[in-house]
Amino acid sequence: MRRHLITAAAATAAALALSSCGTTEPAADDAKSADSLTLTDGTGAKVTLKNGPAKKVVGTEWNAVESLISLGVAPTGVADVKGYKAWDSAVPLKNDAKDIGTRGEPSMDTIASLKPDLIIATTDLPAAAVKQMRKIAPVLNLRPADAADPIGQMTKNLDLLAEATGTTDRAAKLKKDFEAKLAEGRKALAGAGKDGAKYAFADGYVTGNQTSIRPYTDGSLIGAVNKKLGLKNDWKVKGDKAYGLGTTDVEGLTKLDDDVHFAYIGNKDDKGSNPFTGVLKKDKVWTSLPFVKKGNVHRLPDGIWMFGGTESMNQYVDSVVKALKK
Amino acid sequence: MAVTATAPATRPSAAASRTGAVAVTAALLLLVAALAVVDITQGTAAVGAPEVWKALTGRADTADSSVVIASRLPRMTAALLVGSVLGMAGAALQAVSRNVLASPDTLAVNAGSYAALGIAAATGVTLPFLASSGVAFAGGLIAAAVVLGLSGLGAGTVRLVLAGSALTLGLTAVTEGMLQLFPQETEGLYKWNQGSVAQNGFDGVLQMLPVAVVGLVGLLLLARKVDALALGDDAARGVGVPVRSTRLTAVVLAALLSTSAVTLAGPIGFVGLCAPALVRPLARKIRAFTRSRASLPVAGLTGAALVLGSDVLLRAVVPSDVAVAVPTGVVTSLLGALFLVVMAARVRDTAGAAQPDRLRIRSRGVFIGTTAVLVAALVGLVVAAVLVGDSKLLLGDVVNWAQGRAGQTVSFVLDTRVPRVLAALCAGAALALAGTLVQAVTRNPLAEPGVLGVTNGAALGAVLLVTTVPAAGSWTIAGGAFAGAAVSAVLVFGLAAKGGFGQNRLVLVGFGVATGATAVISMLIILTDPFNATKALTWLGGSTYGRTLPDVVPLALVLAAGLTVAVARRTELDLVSLDEDTPRLLGLNLSQGRFGFLVLSVLLSATAVAAAGTIGFVGLVAPHAARALVGRQHVRVIPVAVLLGALLVCGADLVGRTVIAPAQLGAGLMTAVIGTPYFLYLLVRSRHRP
Repeated sequence: MRRHLITAAAATAAALALSSCGTTEPAADDAKSADSLTLTDGTGAKVTLKNGPAKKVVGTEWNAVESLISLGVAPTGVADVKGYKAWDSAVPLKNDAKDIGTRGEPSMDTIASLKPDLIIATTDLPAAAVKQMRKIAPVLNLRPADAADPIGQMTKNLDLLAEATGTTDRAAKLKKDFEAKLAEGRKALAGAGKDGAKYAFADGYVTGNQTSIRPYTDGSLIGAVNKKLGLKNDWKVKGDKAYGLGTTDVEGLTKLDDDVHFAYIGNKDDKGSNPFTGVLKKDKVWTSLPFVKKGNVHRLPDGIWMFGGTESMNQYVDSVVKALKK
Repeated sequence: MAVTATAPATRPSAAASRTGAVAVTAALLLLVAALAVVDITQGTAAVGAPEVWKALTGRADTADSSVVIASRLPRMTAALLVGSVLGMAGAALQAVSRNVLASPDTLAVNAGSYAALGIAAATGVTLPFLASSGVAFAGGLIAAAVVLGLSGLGAGTVRLVLAGSALTLGLTAVTEGMLQLFPQETEGLYKWNQGSVAQNGFDGVLQMLPVAVVGLVGLLLLARKVDALALGDDAARGVGVPVRSTRLTAVVLAALLSTSAVTLAGPIGFVGLCAPALVRPLARKIRAFTRSRASLPVAGLTGAALVLGSDVLLRAVVPSDVAVAVPTGVVTSLLGALFLVVMAARVRDTAGAAQPDRLRIRSRGVFIGTTAVLVAALVGLVVAAVLVGDSKLLLGDVVNWAQGRAGQTVSFVLDTRVPRVLAALCAGAALALAGTLVQAVTRNPLAEPGVLGVTNGAALGAVLLVTTVPAAGSWTIAGGAFAGAAVSAVLVFGLAAKGGFGQNRLVLVGFGVATGATAVISMLIILTDPFNATKALTWLGGSTYGRTLPDVVPLALVLAAGLTVAVARRTELDLVSLDEDTPRLLGLNLSQGRFGFLVLSVLLSATAVAAAGTIGFVGLVAPHAARALVGRQHVRVIPVAVLLGALLVCGADLVGRTVIAPAQLGAGLMTAVIGTPYFLYLLVRSRHRP
């Protein structure tokens, strides 16, 4: 024990000698001021960008990252780059963004080393972490979702990001395209006789020998889009206050109406996230559900991020229309 | 330190005993059957008692009957199977180890399975059910083998529980690290770890049934030899029972039983501990139950009643959609914790005084040398912790920063990094001091704020406050943690104080409170923030993430006060830790001194939890190691333990921040990963000592 301690002490002493004096950064100089910009973020806090619209932006949550890329801003830093690539293929990450760690605990050191003009955080992060980020750069703290008005919250965030990056024209176009996509989808569905059709969207995961189903209620972004498409959400469970997600099990699916259309998104990289083509095939409760017997179960393409921005939702609308028109 | 069932004072006649046994078994069977029937009528689908009746008599429509056949019956059967299997496994383990604390939970079987599944999930391999059962089974068996191998079969029950809980902490830390690092891949695993009896059809139950039958038959065949073990190893050998092989076989069979339960439903906590304990008082009245052949099946039935009862209770109390989200294991843990506390308060603690530590007296020179080396190592580590991180700095940066001349990036990095280093240092020191005090006062080698439920109580207080008041400041969170710690400490020490801190009673009550608090925390997380488990895990994993200087202030103040008191009253600590009689002979008021030290340790652990989350192990390892290094005088133990604690947590924090940067692991997870092997090493080494 003692010998180990001595070795440790000696090693640290050596490390100290090696690192000795020297700096990794020159001394600070005063920032020059240009036309400054003041915004109000999702928590009501005032955020000032001294040099005008931000160019080097870091995003800690995928929905913000997606919106940034849609706005033509290549993010400098992204949390969990690998996960983003697996789950959000609608808006691929084109540049070589730096991975800043996990979405729940982004690394302060890495963010600081990127010297961003702006950090996009969400209220899912601990307040203390956001407070620290404010010392690196201005922080726009977004509300990631609001079950009271999911589409409104998404576009509000998009507008805020556009303002902060000086891309409001682009945002206007994205919103217009999204509106057009909704109208077009609604028309297509009505044309196929699916106006007012009963519809239920979910995802699910398998652990051990159990299947959990996660219903997307009216309060979810997907649920709100469905409503705009003229579909009638058939879930009777209650969702949470932010994301509008409920919980149920396979048995709970018996409460869906017989003529419902059931849709889900899985992920080929994550088989546990897709019970519908797996374990449920042998589950009597599932196979005896009227909508399963009728073949009204639709697998939508992987990589549509269910909590994303306008472009993910456009892709979602296309896939729903395609699935229901069949 | 085994609490053994005392021989019955009055011996009932054999015939009366047999009738009693039959009556009790019949009553239990009836209870289990009634609970099973109620369980089938509960669920998310609108299939109640009338529909179930129709389905069972073949008159229901296909939808209803498929719900009953493919969902309700499998769930009920799984609950039955899991409960009975765990009850029997616990009974067998307790019989062969002569230790009421032995159970699948304390032998790390559950933790081993959980870790194996976590690793499998994180590597992205999605396995079919049978293969994943195999993985979990292997994990559970390996964990049990390690615990038994390290503790040595029949070599003392304290060691068994120590090794088991140590490995449980370490493995759980590894798994929680996986959950943090691979949130997508391991999604649902956290919930799974609470244990839920819901099933996808009968497949799982059918696959596990043969395993359960093999385990049960094996144990029943072994029953006579197991009974002989109750007489003591020498007596058993005297009547020709092979002690080692009997014990080994029983443990393997019990591990087989409990891993089958774990793979089927996740770890349903506490059933293996409670069911046999419920049967034990019966054995005092009814002689037939003193034999394993009778008591094993009864323990199984009791286990089934516990699991089914918890499932029925959960679904009766909360709305069905919420009940889906709350795992049955949380309810059994809560019930079990409550039961354990009540049982511990009533149980007759027959444990003799602890064996005095056979530690060499160390010279003054050894103490000074050790302290000097530790101080040097700590200084080096602190400097390294400040320089090394996600972005590396040089000493000149620190000098610039100290003089307020650093550039923006450097100042920022140091502004956030220095509070984390300080929080880790102080939390480690505080936990080590708290552990030293508790171990001295209770003279219990198992005693540690974590084991005694104080840390988890503090975490519950803090989590409650954080979930209800999101904008709580550092002093408020410290206050919440202290309130939680105080409540659990009053409960634990208050109940254990009866009869002068009986050793088993203290640990039993503490264990119960710890598990109860953890179950409530899990329930809070699942109900308030179901899609943000990472946030809660960060907190529970003992992380310094996002700490600022004001967060460290309460801890630093309490630590300074604690050190002062501990050093000032070092001789009293020496006396208190010695034995029960010496202080009394010297006219010392034992209970008052003990009370003061306990309050201090509660304060220390609560503020440490508020500043850095739940960090296990330090309070256990640091005092042990300090005593091994410099002997048992507190004037020497305190500084060395405190230095070791600070080193351990600061080092763990450094490693957690850097090895997988930019992602990071909580310091608590890292201390467990570092602490477990060291602790197990200590166990092995002390085994070879004469």
